[in-house]
Amino acid sequence: MEAENTINILLVDDEVKFLAAVSDRLTIKGFNVTTAANGDAAIEAAGKGGFDVAVVDLQMPGTDGAQVLKILKQKHEFIEIIMLTGHATVDSAVECTKLGAFKYLEKPYDFDKLIEVLKDAYHLRMQKKFENNAKRMDAIQKLSMGQSPLGILKALAKLDDGKK
Amino acid sequence: MDNGKDLFHYDSLAFFGKVNASISHELKNVMAIISETAGLLGDLSDLASTGTPIKPDMLKSCTGSIMEEIQRGFLTIRQMNRFAHSVDTPIESVNLMDLLDLAINLTGYLSFSGKTYLTPCEDGVPTASTCPFLLQAIIYQALVYEFKTTGPGAAITISLRARGDAAWRIIFSGFNANAFQKFPDPTTSAMAAAIGVVFRFDSTIDRLELEVPLTIKSTTNQSVAPGI
Repeated sequence: MEAENTINILLVDDEVKFLAAVSDRLTIKGFNVTTAANGDAAIEAAGKGGFDVAVVDLQMPGTDGAQVLKILKQKHEFIEIIMLTGHATVDSAVECTKLGAFKYLEKPYDFDKLIEVLKDAYHLRMQKKFENNAKRMDAIQKLSMGQSPLGILKALAKLDDGKK
Repeated sequence: MDNGKDLFHYDSLAFFGKVNASISHELKNVMAIISETAGLLGDLSDLASTGTPIKPDMLKSCTGSIMEEIQRGFLTIRQMNRFAHSVDTPIESVNLMDLLDLAINLTGYLSFSGKTYLTPCEDGVPTASTCPFLLQAIIYQALVYEFKTTGPGAAITISLRARGDAAWRIIFSGFNANAFQKFPDPTTSAMAAAIGVVFRFDSTIDRLELEVPLTIKSTTNQSVAPGI
């Protein structure tokens, strides 16, 4: 196993055999994978937090992939999402991109390509997080100048992202 | 060129394309599972070659999964073939049970499909001289509207009854009244009129009925040309 990979992935597809095979392959490669067989289960799993990247099938019964993409991007600021589809159209690709998808892969895809895209998505997530942290650090440094101790505390509370 | 007829031809072609797209989607899913499972076997082989013990059950599960998906693929191709041949002859004598079976299988490839049950016909062999392609399109559309309205929990039971010596009645039990507010759409209505199919809906028991004449010639003089 490639122990250096510790990317937490949420894998969502209604094709259960596909889900199992891809999950096993990614686990062998060293990724930490959680699976969900429908959109609602994916949203619930994501609610528990801890995912770096989600890989979501576009066409699913009930809550479909586009809805999952929209909800995950609204609720989880830094998660990157890769959409999968067996039915690629320009319209669906454009819609997913507008909703914030990192990439759009058509099934069946090359597994090495998926690994490459997963790593790119993870890098982008980390880059966004670092940039966000840097901005907050800048803001904290500016606060310490010319404010009363109570004023600093209030301003710091505003900058807190709420994560414990 | 008659614009009305031209539109009718285009809609038939659009239906043909839509069904083929859903079949290709199903086949892509099958290929994706085979591809990933074969890839997993390769990964397990690589692990085994480095001395990592691999459970035989895992290998059996992979090969079993591949075999099942190959069968699913064959079944899908068989339905695709049946559908492709439904345009061979514009009007012919068809077994309505076979036609319903195909339409149900085709709607099963839609991501939003519900459950459809076909009950055996108790009134003999249900044959009619009709346009199989258009009748399939009408049945398919009825199921699509039901699934879209009710959602993945939709459950429809289809049965066939003889209506005297003149027609067969295709009965959709459990058809959502809201779906009937949208169905038939103008395109489906035009297709139905072309082959003499009449719609009835009983809202007290959520039942949609399609009356299919034994022969098109006795009910309509319109030409039936799917235009494909």
